[in-house]
Amino acid sequence: MDDILDEVVSSEDLQKFEKVFHEQLHQGKVTPKAQFEYAWCLVRSKYPTDIRKGILLLKELFHSHTDGKRDYLFYLAIGNARIKEYNKASHYVKTFLEIEPANQQVLALERQINKRMEKEGLIGMAVAGGAVLALGGLVGLGIALASSKK
Amino acid sequence: MSRCDFKIVLLGSEHVGKTSLVLRFVNCRFNAGTPYQNTIGAAFCAKTMHSNGKDFNIGIWDTAGSERYQAMTKMYYRGAHAAIICYEPSCLASWTRLRHWLQELRTVEEDCKVYLCATKKDLLDSGAVVREVPEDIVATYSQGLSGHFMTSSKTGENVEELFQKIVDDCAADVSVMKNVEEMRVQLAKEEAAFKAKSKDYCFC
Repeated sequence: MDDILDEVVSSEDLQKFEKVFHEQLHQGKVTPKAQFEYAWCLVRSKYPTDIRKGILLLKELFHSHTDGKRDYLFYLAIGNARIKEYNKASHYVKTFLEIEPANQQVLALERQINKRMEKEGLIGMAVAGGAVLALGGLVGLGIALASSKK
Repeated sequence: MSRCDFKIVLLGSEHVGKTSLVLRFVNCRFNAGTPYQNTIGAAFCAKTMHSNGKDFNIGIWDTAGSERYQAMTKMYYRGAHAAIICYEPSCLASWTRLRHWLQELRTVEEDCKVYLCATKKDLLDSGAVVREVPEDIVATYSQGLSGHFMTSSKTGENVEELFQKIVDDCAADVSVMKNVEEMRVQLAKEEAAFKAKSKDYCFC
């Protein structure tokens, strides 16, 4: 466990909060607390589909419930970073820092996101670089073939 | 890939100074200019410490004290080797709540070592605040626990001592150390397996 983005919810915890949420949903009235607790478990799941669901629930809360906006922003950033939507995650972090510029937790999260972007960006570039080399090779082969035909 | 040898969790009512304590310990800093911002969920920090000639990686979970996180922070107690329960000597309510934190902890992690920490010592020393929690009650209560420290995150007093005591106690605990060794072996195995696997996929 290196940082906050690696932290994973246990399945029993997820199920516990899922049950509460679904019971309330069945009764037709979900409290922001139940929705938040369930969403908070979902964005810490190891399955991207869970994380996406958590993000939707958090977005809904963010627009409907003014009380916990900073909490929702924070976990929206975490959820997006965990499914590698780094641009979205950075956007939420920046929005948060506009309100609380010195927040240590969010500054640490920003560093983690940047670190991952850099690491995965480099890998992306290496793959792209490899493709360019391969393409260059093909073109070279083509030229060689064309010239040998003459 | 690194994993923590000892897990320490911080508990206590909001505004007693759990985050300041961690930041002082990890960064050796106290920022008086920062306005109070309550912790969201839980924050994680790690630091390497020495005890008995060995290095240990310690992971600290600084949990939120606010009510809205009550149901959630409990999950962070799981697997903790030590817990620091913070209170403010000048705030009786934070002391009364301490019993609740201890119970919460015990339901999740029965064998966890518990340390009490009285925060904001500098305010008490300078007379800026008045003690509300009687010292004899604290002494009696902390007898059954692993230790009691009075710290100031502003001056740094006793902060290092508190964490050093925890690491020394953990390092001297046979069952904790057995657990640490098992974790290290497991991690080494995982790393070897990971390396072997990534070799399979090498296109070179």
